[in-house]
Amino acid sequence: MFSFYILVGILLISFVFFFLGKNQAKKVAYTNKKKLHSLIHYYGLYSLLSSLIPTLGIFFAITICDDLLFAELIKKYIPDEVVNSKDYNFTIVLAQINNSVEGLIFGTPPEWVANAAAIWKSWVLKSNTITVAVCTITILVSGFFSLKKIKFEFRSRNAVEKIVTSILAVSSMIAILTTIAIIFSVVFESIRFFALIPYDEFLFGTIWNPQFEGADRAGSGQEGLSQYGAIPLFAGTFLISIIALCVSVPVGLFSAIYLSEYATSKERAFFKPLLEILAGIPTVVYGFFAALTVAPFLRSSGSIFGLNVASESALAAGLVMGIMIIPFISSLSDDVINAVPQSLRDAGYGLGSTKNETVMKIVLPAALPGVVASIILAVSRAVGETMIVVMAAGLAANLTANPLEAVTTVTSQIVTILVGDQEFESAKTLSAFALALTLIIITLAMNFYALHIVKKYREQYE
Amino acid sequence: MNNKIISPSDALDIVKKSIVKRRSRDNRLKLFGRIAIGVAVCFLLTLFYSIFTKGYPGFFQYYVTLDIKFDRERIDPKGDLSDNSLFDGEASIIVNESLYSIIQPKGRKEKKLAKKIVSSGKDVRIAKMVKNNPSLFGTTTSVKFALDDDVDSFLRGYLKRETPENERRISDKAIQFIDKLNEEGRISYEFSDYILGGSASGNAEMAGIKGAFIGSMLTLSVCLLIAFPLGVATAVYLEEIAKKNRITEFIEVNINNLAAVPSVVFGIMGLAIFISIFGMPRSIPLVGGMVLALMTLPTIIISSRAAIRAVPPSVRDAAYGIGASKIQVIFHHVIPLAMPGMLTGTIIGMAQALGETAPLLMIGMVAFIVDVPNSVLDPGTVLPVQIFMWADFAERMFIQKTSAAIIVLLGFLISMNALAVYLRKKLERRW
Amino acid sequence: MLINNDLKTLDLTVGDVFSQNPRLKARNVSVFYGDNKAIDNVTIDIGNKEVISFIGPSGCGKSTFLRCFNRMNDTIDSCAVKGEITIDDENIYDKKIDVVPLRARIGMVFQKPNPFPKSIYDNVAYGPRIHGLSENKEHLDGIVEESLKRAGLWEEVIDRLDSPGTGLSGGQQQRLCIARAIAVSPEVILMDEPCSALDPIATAKIEELIHELGNDYSIVIVTHSMQQAARVSKKTAYFHLGKLIEVGRTKDIFTRPQHHQTEAYISGKIG
Repeated sequence: MFSFYILVGILLISFVFFFLGKNQAKKVAYTNKKKLHSLIHYYGLYSLLSSLIPTLGIFFAITICDDLLFAELIKKYIPDEVVNSKDYNFTIVLAQINNSVEGLIFGTPPEWVANAAAIWKSWVLKSNTITVAVCTITILVSGFFSLKKIKFEFRSRNAVEKIVTSILAVSSMIAILTTIAIIFSVVFESIRFFALIPYDEFLFGTIWNPQFEGADRAGSGQEGLSQYGAIPLFAGTFLISIIALCVSVPVGLFSAIYLSEYATSKERAFFKPLLEILAGIPTVVYGFFAALTVAPFLRSSGSIFGLNVASESALAAGLVMGIMIIPFISSLSDDVINAVPQSLRDAGYGLGSTKNETVMKIVLPAALPGVVASIILAVSRAVGETMIVVMAAGLAANLTANPLEAVTTVTSQIVTILVGDQEFESAKTLSAFALALTLIIITLAMNFYALHIVKKYREQYE
Repeated sequence: MNNKIISPSDALDIVKKSIVKRRSRDNRLKLFGRIAIGVAVCFLLTLFYSIFTKGYPGFFQYYVTLDIKFDRERIDPKGDLSDNSLFDGEASIIVNESLYSIIQPKGRKEKKLAKKIVSSGKDVRIAKMVKNNPSLFGTTTSVKFALDDDVDSFLRGYLKRETPENERRISDKAIQFIDKLNEEGRISYEFSDYILGGSASGNAEMAGIKGAFIGSMLTLSVCLLIAFPLGVATAVYLEEIAKKNRITEFIEVNINNLAAVPSVVFGIMGLAIFISIFGMPRSIPLVGGMVLALMTLPTIIISSRAAIRAVPPSVRDAAYGIGASKIQVIFHHVIPLAMPGMLTGTIIGMAQALGETAPLLMIGMVAFIVDVPNSVLDPGTVLPVQIFMWADFAERMFIQKTSAAIIVLLGFLISMNALAVYLRKKLERRW
Repeated sequence: MLINNDLKTLDLTVGDVFSQNPRLKARNVSVFYGDNKAIDNVTIDIGNKEVISFIGPSGCGKSTFLRCFNRMNDTIDSCAVKGEITIDDENIYDKKIDVVPLRARIGMVFQKPNPFPKSIYDNVAYGPRIHGLSENKEHLDGIVEESLKRAGLWEEVIDRLDSPGTGLSGGQQQRLCIARAIAVSPEVILMDEPCSALDPIATAKIEELIHELGNDYSIVIVTHSMQQAARVSKKTAYFHLGKLIEVGRTKDIFTRPQHHQTEAYISGKIG
């Protein structure tokens, strides 16, 4: 609430500076009896932006940093016996204190929590006062300086446009910042993971069995039984992706061929969007469909044939994932096939080819790089897909090639591990980051490869 | 004429003979194409059929009508309609009394059984009613109460009488009671006021999507407010202002990479950076919106760039010719002309964000949250996550409500996409 | 034969419309693109083993009419052809006729060379392969070699038959396309401005080639260059705005045109 009022205050003051700037400009124009370089509103804008931007920057800096600072400083106020206790967890303690600060009191908290909360509240008060003071000073100072600058020679429009350009440039950096954030968060924690578990066990181990690290500490005799061999996960991902491809490649490719070469424009106008709908359905809906309709159906039809289909089978998940991927292949292939120049088809027809021969022997081979790229992109999507596998495939890290059994995938494990209690120190939680790292590397590698194929073979017709 | 090349008349014979086979191969390819499209359409129809048939009943529930004596001293002992007072009151007991008067259970065991027939939310319903309408006190009014989900399943026919009692979720005695209520015409099948008005609940009959829906709206608003300006700004900068150098290439590569990264990873980043490092609370729409915004950003940037590129250079040249500056050309001419394309791209991006589940799971939106979030800082959940959580519950009624929730979600997605298509058609310019 | 209609046509067209031993006969052919009439009631014979040029100003329908002979206009949805074109007394537009053997008999070379993105060998072998014209690999090799020889390309590519056809120069690519057409043993070769995308030296080589090919094949060549028509063909037909104005020996058309419109085009007054 406090932040909201401050923000409103900052905005209002900057608006005041807008009008002050305009007036100043009008004054200058009057005294010089000549037209100014820029239109009046640019001078107002200049004042507004000059006062607003630095103040906002400082405000956000303080707001973000103060919580971090308090968390560090409050550590002094946690009694030693709590720190040294067996299941001490700073995150939980911090949460306790925060709850107390916000007045959410369950039962009677220990005295030190109430004390720490009181101290925290006093710090918050101090921080708020400082924020108000600093922001006020900043906005007033920068505002007045901007007014000073409004002289006759001042090219306000250029200044404003420079500011706008910088804002646009900074926005573009967000993409880079996001990438850095992703890399940082994943790599940092992965490094900590690999400090606990060696690379080769992770990449080549065939048993995935992360236990609660708490079991280790509880001395239940389970120490050292946690195993982090990711091969079953890779195998599961691979198996499900293959099944998905078996569905989506034939359906997608033949649909694309039909729609681009054989279909009338009415058929194309009707069916192409219909296929695109498959891409728009949320994956959680696919997961639900897979778990509640497809899996039971497979199970019961399996038993008719005497096959034992698990209730959470790779086949169910793979099938539904294949359906989801169909538009990736059909749309992209359709685009690539259409891009093949009509002159090649004319040459084929001129020699007496049937449509089938023209498509299969001339058009498709020419479009092949693009088609292959679309398949790779579809695989990349399948590998990164989460909800369908979480809901329909199992959690058992089963190393098998049998699609009727339950398997788990990389993404499914990431979700299972990170949804629920997390201890950022335990190998179990950190393993999720290592899995995420492998996921990123694989999907990006596939995307690069797909792009490379398209680029390399594009020269062929041009 | 060299005898290596066939004479035209011989060639003609050979070709004529080969026609039948080749034509049949041609027809086969056409057939395969049709089958493929047919299979895809079949999948689509099966999916929609399955969801719809499961979900349509989810919008309805069974209710029982009971006559309730609104006795003020018993319901609101402190007399101030405060939550504390109502909590101490005897609303459930009054309801039970009304129930017993009809079905007349004998003994404690039967009474316990009878109590469970009506949904445990009975006191909440009474409390809401008297709060909204204190003039009810002193009257005896008919009130509809939802029936417990097992009773509901029985009435729908999923729990069958014929199953032996020890294998059934509902006992013979309970069935007797239900039959009695039915005879009196007190049981009705109505549009559920829980599915859309209620929030998450462990009890299937009281479960609804209101909380999740509001959470979705809040999260999407945050996402839109962040992603649209940033996306447009980046697209404008890259297309119009930045020179083609290593840095811009690097930014472009980054954007394309981000578009390819699986959505889970964005959630992980949100967990590690926004929650762990910045210390923001979990499960709030603000953090969810921020994560979704970063995920949708590449889509908006790419479609906005395409829209900007579609504006012909002649427009820019004309503006420059009059003496406009670069920024003026961009803001007065290019952006307004590219806006339809940018809007359509944004709507499509928002539709994708609406359906996203995995990243929001990562930032903790799996908590069981009963209250409807009032602001972007209150803990909440979103519709797809709610669907995910409900999907685990085995009760029949949950399956139906989950499917109903999916119908609502799909409804929104279809409207958003339809809006995008409509805008695209309406505002499309042919240069 | 439609004698009465022949007389009607003779009112409009001047010169030797008919030939002694025609390969192809076009009678009262009109072509419509939607409501737009591109070719108006044209009657002409294509003689056996001779080269005939179609000349006329741009956009007067020459290419459209050319494409009628091998039913390439079928690939365009909005195109409708009326009238009759017969080969060996069979109307090619009859519903019973399969277009595949027709196109094997009547080959086509296009304005812009369009070799397949395959090897030179595969480009030429494509036709014989799909039609099943060769009995074994040796036979196919022979067909490829002979076709390339007749197209005058063999010497230049003998050592790189596996390299991509798209790697050749413009003139070579066009000769490759000609070889490709020859490989299916056609009787007629249609050429739609085959040299317009080529440089003068390549053009000269191809014109020489066409002259030679005229001994073995009936060739119809559309050209917007009168000089080219004079160099390669014995007979010339002048088209104007979709109508056939005059047909005759090339020498006569260029020195003593009978129709005033032909004369106007020849002397550069229109075009």
